[in-house]
Amino acid sequence: MITLYGNDRSRATRNVWMLEELGVEYERDMVDHTKGEAKTESFLAINPGGKVPALRDGDVVMFESLAINLYLAMTYGKGGLWPDDAVGQAACVQWTVFSATEVEPHTVGALIELIFKPEAARDEAAAQACLARLPPVLNVLETTLSDLAFLGGDTFTAADLNVACVVNSLNMIGFDFTPYPKMTAWVKTCVARQG
Amino acid sequence: MIKIYGSFVSRATRNLWMLEELGLEYEHVSLDWAKQENRSAAYLKINPAGKVPTLEDGDATLSESLGINLYLVQKYGQGGLWPDDDAGRALCVQWSFWAAAELEPLAYGRIREFLFKKEPDRDQALIANMAERTGPLLDLMTLALDEHAYLSGETFTVADLNAACVMEYLDRSDFDLSGWPKVAAWYTNTYGRPANQKIQDQRAPIAADMMKRLQG
Repeated sequence: MITLYGNDRSRATRNVWMLEELGVEYERDMVDHTKGEAKTESFLAINPGGKVPALRDGDVVMFESLAINLYLAMTYGKGGLWPDDAVGQAACVQWTVFSATEVEPHTVGALIELIFKPEAARDEAAAQACLARLPPVLNVLETTLSDLAFLGGDTFTAADLNVACVVNSLNMIGFDFTPYPKMTAWVKTCVARQG
Repeated sequence: MIKIYGSFVSRATRNLWMLEELGLEYEHVSLDWAKQENRSAAYLKINPAGKVPTLEDGDATLSESLGINLYLVQKYGQGGLWPDDDAGRALCVQWSFWAAAELEPLAYGRIREFLFKKEPDRDQALIANMAERTGPLLDLMTLALDEHAYLSGETFTVADLNAACVMEYLDRSDFDLSGWPKVAAWYTNTYGRPANQKIQDQRAPIAADMMKRLQG
């Protein structure tokens, strides 16, 4: 049985999305990082880094949310969310790294300063600096999605899930998506799959 | 024929190391960043953002250096640098993303200060802050290396290659690893592999020229 550690206030939600897409059975351990539960001895045995989410699947124990999704797709989504062909697999890996390194540092940076921190500690200028880094990155998505229905081609794959879950987080801060119509339509299509 | 775009003073060296490890034939297209060769119409066609590296392999064209390595290893390194077992593969993916998302922002943030600024202009507070945040990451590596010789198990895999080529930024900016002896030994052993040595030997004169330009 697969166990996913982390509650809905963590990046575990993106792994829930993947697990639901794959239709595999899993259980959740709602480790609440906001109450220090990710630093307990029992959880540190799962992830010594003390961060959620983490995943246990038999003798597989791992962390890093986007890596967990790639592992799950490779293992349980062959021919579906993990395409059979090298071109599709290349897209999944490339876009997942793109999401982690090009998009998420800026989205998370803005979210921290605008909503996660207590109001008195928020730094509007730091948030704006993060948001200012996004247009060239989002334009890469807009350009790609002008030619393709999904990031890897005609079908929804791990590439889409791993990028859409990060881009969609911008909705939490009322981000203006109007300069990116193709990307916006694609995010909506992807997110609607979560039901 | 596999083509890799990007010079010896770019993240393309990560992919050149992997290509050498896998013993693949490839063509190296070195794009000179100073001459804006990465902004030529021909290159923008394969990488619209004008970033390096990019890999072309048959119909597959992809960017993101650590992603390229994960792609190459799955296609050409089965049972070797890409383990056969699920647990090993999970750790390969995990450590690659850990290197990209956790280590690289700190290690690259640090080396930028050393590369692009002269000594008196470096932001020492920033350097100290990044060093402090890097410590827990090295602690985490130490725990993994307490369990096995390499990050994903008893053999060298893409996990080690992808982590070591990011840790290179710490090494090049004289980060003191003496508090983490297992990490230091692992790095020396990993980074010094003949496949990487071959690439680093080619890089050395080009990097020396670049440093002369940057640091005067």
